[in-house]
This record gives sequence, structure tokens and C-alpha cells, in this order.
Amino acid sequence: MSLIPRSALWCYTALMLLFALFVSTAQAAPLHATDLQGHPVEQLTVAGTKVVVLIFAATDCPISNRYIPQIEALRRKLSSQGVAFWWVFPNPGDTLPIVRKHGQDFSISTPTLIDSQQELVHLANASVTPEAAVFAVDHGSLHEVYRGRIDDRYIAFGQERPQATHHDLEQAIQAILAGRTVAQSFGEPVGCSIIPAALKP
Amino acid sequence: MTTLHRMRPFLPIRHMAVVILPMMLAASAFHLRPVRAASGSDNFSPVSASATPTWSHDIAPILYSNCTTCHHTGGAGPFSLLTYAAARRWGAQAVTVTQSRYMPPWLPEPGYGDFADVRRLPDADLALLRKWFRAGMPQGDLATAPQAPKYDSVWQMGKPDLILKQAQPFTLAAGGTDVFRNFVFTYPLKQSHFIRAMEIRPGAPQVVHHANVLIDRTASFRLQHPTDWQTGVPGMEILLDAGNTFDPDSHFLFWKPDTPALVEPDGMPWRLDPGNDLILNIHLKPSGKSEIIDSEIGLYFTDKPPTKQPMLLQLDRDDGLDIPAGDKAFVVEDSMTLPIDVEALGVYPHAHYLGKDMQAWAVLPNGEKKWLVWIRDWDIDRQAVYRYREPVQLPKGSVLHMRYVYDNSAANARNPHDPPIRVRAGNRSEDEMAHLWLQVLPTHADPKGPDPRLLLEEAWMRHRLTRTPNDRISLYNLGAALAGEGKYAEAASEYGEILKISPHDSATLIALGAALDGSGDWQKARRVYTQVVESAKASQICDARFDLATLDLRHEQLNSAEGEFRTQLASCAEDAETHAGLAATLMEEGQSDRAKAEFNRSLELNSENFQALLGLSGIELDAGDNSPAIEHLASAARIRPSSEEAHTQLARAYAQSGNLDGAQTELRRAAQLQPGNPTVHSALAQVLAQASKLEDAIAEQRLALKLLDDDADGWNNLGVLEARTGKLESARADFERALKLQPEHAAARANLARLPAAR
Repeated sequence: MSLIPRSALWCYTALMLLFALFVSTAQAAPLHATDLQGHPVEQLTVAGTKVVVLIFAATDCPISNRYIPQIEALRRKLSSQGVAFWWVFPNPGDTLPIVRKHGQDFSISTPTLIDSQQELVHLANASVTPEAAVFAVDHGSLHEVYRGRIDDRYIAFGQERPQATHHDLEQAIQAILAGRTVAQSFGEPVGCSIIPAALKP
Repeated sequence: MTTLHRMRPFLPIRHMAVVILPMMLAASAFHLRPVRAASGSDNFSPVSASATPTWSHDIAPILYSNCTTCHHTGGAGPFSLLTYAAARRWGAQAVTVTQSRYMPPWLPEPGYGDFADVRRLPDADLALLRKWFRAGMPQGDLATAPQAPKYDSVWQMGKPDLILKQAQPFTLAAGGTDVFRNFVFTYPLKQSHFIRAMEIRPGAPQVVHHANVLIDRTASFRLQHPTDWQTGVPGMEILLDAGNTFDPDSHFLFWKPDTPALVEPDGMPWRLDPGNDLILNIHLKPSGKSEIIDSEIGLYFTDKPPTKQPMLLQLDRDDGLDIPAGDKAFVVEDSMTLPIDVEALGVYPHAHYLGKDMQAWAVLPNGEKKWLVWIRDWDIDRQAVYRYREPVQLPKGSVLHMRYVYDNSAANARNPHDPPIRVRAGNRSEDEMAHLWLQVLPTHADPKGPDPRLLLEEAWMRHRLTRTPNDRISLYNLGAALAGEGKYAEAASEYGEILKISPHDSATLIALGAALDGSGDWQKARRVYTQVVESAKASQICDARFDLATLDLRHEQLNSAEGEFRTQLASCAEDAETHAGLAATLMEEGQSDRAKAEFNRSLELNSENFQALLGLSGIELDAGDNSPAIEHLASAARIRPSSEEAHTQLARAYAQSGNLDGAQTELRRAAQLQPGNPTVHSALAQVLAQASKLEDAIAEQRLALKLLDDDADGWNNLGVLEARTGKLESARADFERALKLQPEHAAARANLARLPAAR
């Protein structure tokens, strides 16, 4: 067994980290997420998709729900520019019938995923709802370029701006579309912790 | 004969609410519920340092006594916390929001004001929640868990006596900024009621964070918004016209999700009259889906009139609010000296989004400082009324202080402007306010003096005028307070200050007329009213002409009065009061048939018009029509239970129809209402005598003469009663006294002659 030089080990680690940010749409069955008909969704993109946006959400989380109209409006504004939005419901309690009913109650028309095995949570490294993850689409693979709050309206529980002043998510998407560097979020997302899949309600 | 009744309050005491009542509102994301009682596990004992807290043993008791009144299905909180599964689902948030003290909502700093219903969680509870979460949120032995409280969706206090409904449902948009809206609830009854409790069911409790209910005595808000009041009117703060009687705002009708029923203390009900509106000033937070707001207000009545009359006093520094952009600590202060002894019952601090540190305290005449409230990190979303555990005694001469600090820097997350801009006082949420309301109850008032609330009002208005000397509302209300205290000349002088600035201000001219009339110069009052009638806008002309007609009636200018009432009926809206006024005039003119017709017309328009009921019953009693008179007077006494006149007249009707018990009951009520009225005691003596209760009758007659000792008839009557009970020498002295007062008093002379000669 040969010793691996220290610098090589470092390179290997970096490489792995980098890989963690990629998911290849070429993978045969990487996802077990389903749509609201219960069908597995294997493609987050269609031809011409430049950006994929995942919004992690929970049907029973008030802050998450409060962002629905805003996200729906953002999708309507940007979908013609090659931006694919997905609502992602990862919590164990958010089962198919619950999420379907919730979608009707809140007039959601953006495509929705139920991430019961939380693969998308791990892929994006999301931790709360609502939280956004933005992926650039590069030759069929997704490269995460932004993860964090949608905007700065909520600073902490009990600290809320009357209106947002920094629209982090939209700026990230616009930056990709314009070929600019994406600025990372300054603030942590505020909302409800994503419940580990192991914790059945 | 017919006594003249004031048709409309003769002294317009207060025109505009000085009061910009508050709007309130609300909290944001999570509403854990507060109410600090002992949280089940007596905080310090059951958990030893090493024991792992469990839901069953430690956490459920905390949640049940502090959180679940809002956090139950259908409650105001966004999710339920009633089960172990729910507690685990929300465990992470529960720990975060309790440690930061965002939940339960409670802003006052402990130790600066001793409040009832404190919602602040003890540190020991916070430690338990933390430990439980770190241990993986164990369930523990379910068998030992306390029983979950039950919440149902019915009225918490049982079926209300009256349920008011919103005129139209309002649809709250799914998203966007917070909504501040005012819904008008008309009071549909034709009689007044005292309200001992109120409950509000907002329809969609999760988006309604707080609400303030305002009483609009004159329906002024509805009149200001004739076309859109039914859909609700946007706005954070509103200004109401308080009408012509001194009826200061007295109760905090502040509602928040964890206190759905507002129960007033014993002896302190509030009141609704026909024609009043309630205005629900509500703060709504969009939830993400559109919601229907279809509120109901449940009212619970009591027959018992108030025995205590509190008042809301306000410190404010709106005039000092001019906050430079970027200023991190802009300070305003106000202070006011109390003119009488009061006790403070509750406090309601109010600012908008820039308010930061808010302090209020009182310095007593002995130098002692008493804290009224201190909020270190103001949050409009969690504002509330705070009631003191025990009334705070504030003797005359105490100085009330408020000191508010505002943060208009970009570092204030709640700053509605980005970047910050200069901000001044105003009613929009992005403007600012600097208000502190204190509910006070006058104590040790001089029973012979004026209503002590008038003295508070006077001091308050004088204080406002030191800062804004030409403020019309302050001058007007000061004039009204002085007139209420009987200081008519001073009142006229304050109204004169307004007229220097606005010589044609009709409302002020009408008030001036009343003050001049009160000061004895009714001719000048007449000229002022006439001036308004000849020059003002239609609505003001009608008010002024009505007052003029009433003045003429009172001063027996019957021709003028009749003409004015008739013009009024021809050119202003036909109303029951004007018909009643015309009827009273006709009575004075001796035309009782025509008067009767007018009284009847008045009652057709409003079957509960008090003056018409009383006036008509007088005609009926004179004609010996006892039954209809009793019916009309019973209605009058029900509509206005505090009217001595209604009870006295009803007693007369009972006595005429031979019902002496009924007559006694009514006269005793009248005597309770006006213990100093000799006529009532004389009448009671007569009725008691007829019922052969001679000793009681003598006591009442003596009381009457103590109150009014130059009444020859009274002395004669006392003499008769004493003679009948064998007190011949006392009787002789009584008759002699009557004759001394009125030498030709025939009855007294005859009675004296009948007495056996003195020994």
C-alpha cells in the first residue's frame, strides 16, 4: 500500500466536495421524489432549461406558506426565460394527499415534488422551510450556485421587515441568466426546521 | 305641567374625539400562547439536575398552560401543540422562540409595573424546554401526562345577548404587506344596554393578530365613508367625532388572539346607545392563501349600571416627532400633572415600526417614582394592553411621564423605509406615533363637585394646549369640560379662541351658544344660534335651529319655538326629536290635542323616543288614562333607567291607578337616583301616608324639608302626618312654620285651628 502524499489527499477531498454539488440528470434513478400524481420525477429540466430552482416548503409552516404568492409570481415572471421552479415538500408528515390538498388551498400551479427520502434536501443541503436552492444547468448536470433565504423579510422569529429590501433568490437567478457571479446570501433563512425523514410524525 | 325635557344634550360638550384610537395589531409567524400561571410542573422541583425531562411529565404542562389557548386546531396559532407528535414536530421552533422570548408574546420588562396575566415564561421552563429538546424530545410515560385542555369553536361565555355581524365578508389577499382595516358594526337595537363582556370571533383567527374596538357614538365614521363602510375602510388609525355629550372613552376594548372574551370588572360595564356603531380596527397578516374575514362581535348585557366611571387619559408627543433619517436614538418625552386622585387600572403604549425603548412612570408628590411600564424592544406586532394586578394609586399632584426612543436607522429591521427617510407623526403605518394611554379611575372625588373626569379632561386639554396653543380640538374640548363644570364664561372664552381663527366654525358657534345660555345670557345665545341658522351649511343649520328652538321653548318664546320646530320639520330630515319638541311647545301653549298628535307622530318614527313617551304619558295621566300612561312610562324607564323623572312619573301613574306598592317602588328608585331631590321624598311621603305607613311617611317628609325648608306645603303636610300619629305639639309647630312662610296658607290655618288647644 502506498502512502498518499498529503497534498493529494487534499485534492481528493476537494474533488469529492465538488461532486457533492453535482447531480447528473444522466443518472438512471437518482431520485425517488414524486409528483402530485405519485409518479417518480427523474428530470428536473426540459430542453432549454438554464436554471432550476427548488423551494423547500412545509404545508404547516406559516412563514413557508406566506411566501407562496411571491414564489408563484416569480415563476410566472421568469419561466419564459428558461427557469424551472419546483416546490419541494420533504417533511415526513407531508404526504401526497396532504400536499395535494394544500396545493389546491393555496392555488399553487408551480410543479411540486414530494421528497419523501429527502434526497433533494441532501443534494441542496437545505435545512429549513422555506429555503431556496438554485442550480445552473450545465450540459445536463446541475450545479448548485445559491442556497439560502428567499429574501430578507424575516430576520429572526419576531423580527420581520414590513417589506423585503434584498431579494436574494431573484438576484441569484438573474445573475445566472446574465452570466454574472452569484452573490451568496448574507442572512440565514428563517422558518421551520426540516423534520428528519427518520422521525415519523 | 309639562316639564321641559332637554331633547338633545343642551351643552355640546365634546365634539371630536381627541382620540386617535389605536389600532393594533399583531404578531407574526408563531403565536405560542401565553398566560403565565404556574406551568404544571412547579418549575423548580420535579426535575433533578440530571433527570431527563419528558413530554408527559414536564413539557405538556408548560404547553398546556402557556401555548395551547392559541395553538390548537382552529385557534389563532398557526398549528396545534396539543399532542406529543405535534410538540415533537414543532420542538425545534418552540425552543428557539421561547429562548428568544418571542413566544409567548410579552413585551414589558419584569419589575417595571406589576401586571396581571403576565405571560413571560419563567427561566426554569425555558431550561426544561432546552433540555428536553437536546435529549431528543422523549415522550415519557403517557399515563402520567396531564389531560389536554379542550377547545371548542363556540362562544367562550355562552350564547351572547346580541351578536353583531360584519356588513360584508372581506377577502384578504394571499400575499403582500400587512393590512390595516376598519369594519363598521351598526348597533341595531332601539334601546341602550350596558355591556359587561364582549367576545370577538374574527372568522379567520390565524390571520387576525390583534384588533381594537372603538365606540363611535355619532356614527361619524360611517358618515365619513358613506359608500365604502360596508366593505371596510383601510387605515391604521382613525379619528371619530365624539358627539355632543361628555362621554369620554373609558375602556380598553383591545382584543388579541389569546383573550377572545373581554370581561369588564364588576361595576364597570360600558354602554351602547341606539345609533352607536362599533368599529373593529383590525390588523391582518396575509397567510399565503386568500382568507375570508367575516367577523362577529358577541355582546353580553347587564342590567346593572356602572358604579365606577373610568377614563382613558393620554400622554402623547406626536407634535415632537420629526425623526431624521438614520437617527438611531430619537427621544420624545411628555409629562402631565394629575389634578385629582386616581388609580391607574391599565396601560397601553403605542408607536409604529420605529419605536424602540418605551418607558412610562409617575412621580408622586412625595417624590416616589412608580413605574407604569417599560418596554425595551417595542414590536408593533405584539402590542397589547397591560392591566395592573392591583390598581396603582396616584394622588393629586402626581406627574405622569413618558419617554420614547425611536430608531430610524437602517439597522432597525422593522424600518419600513429603505434607505431610511425623515419620518413624522401620522396615521399611516409608515408614519410614527408617540402615545401612551392610561385607564384611570378617579378616587376620593368630591360628591358635590363636578364629574371628576371633567377635571381630568380640563387638565389634559390645558396640557395639550401648552404645546399646541391653537389646536382646535383641544380648545373645543377644554371649552366643553369647563362648561360641564359650570364655568360657562371661561368656556365661552375658549370657544372665542377658536372663533378668532375660524370665525364661522359652526360647531364652535353652537357650543358657544350653549355656554352663553348656561351663563345666563340667553339673548346672546339666541343671536349666535340665529347667526348659524342664517349662514351655515345645511347640516349645521339643522343642529343650530334645533338648539335655537329648544332654547326658545325653555325660555317660553313659544311662538318662535313653534315656528322653528315647524321650519325644522319642513327643511331638515324629519325626526322623532323634532316632533317631540314641537309637541312640548304645543303643550306649553295649552294645545294638548295637537301636542298629543305630535307626540304620537314622534313615536311612530321612533317608538322608543324617551321625550315623547314621557310627554304623552303626562297628557294621558291628566286625562285619567292610566293604563296607556303606565305602558308608555314603563318603556321610558326601561330605555333610560337612570331617569329620575321617568320613575317619578311612573309612580304617579301607579298611585293614580291605586297601585301603592308600585308607586313606592318607583319613588324609591327615583330617590336612589336623586337622593337630594325634595320633591321625590315629598311624593314618597304622600304615597306612604296613603298606604298608612305613617312613620315612614313622616321620615320621608322630614327628609324633604331638610333638603328644602321653605316649602309651606311641605310643612303643612308634615303637620298633618304628625297630627295623625298623635304628635300634636310637633304638628302645631309645623303648621305655624307653614304660616310663617305663607301667612295666607288656608290649609295650614284650618289644620292649626283643628288641633286641640295647647296645654
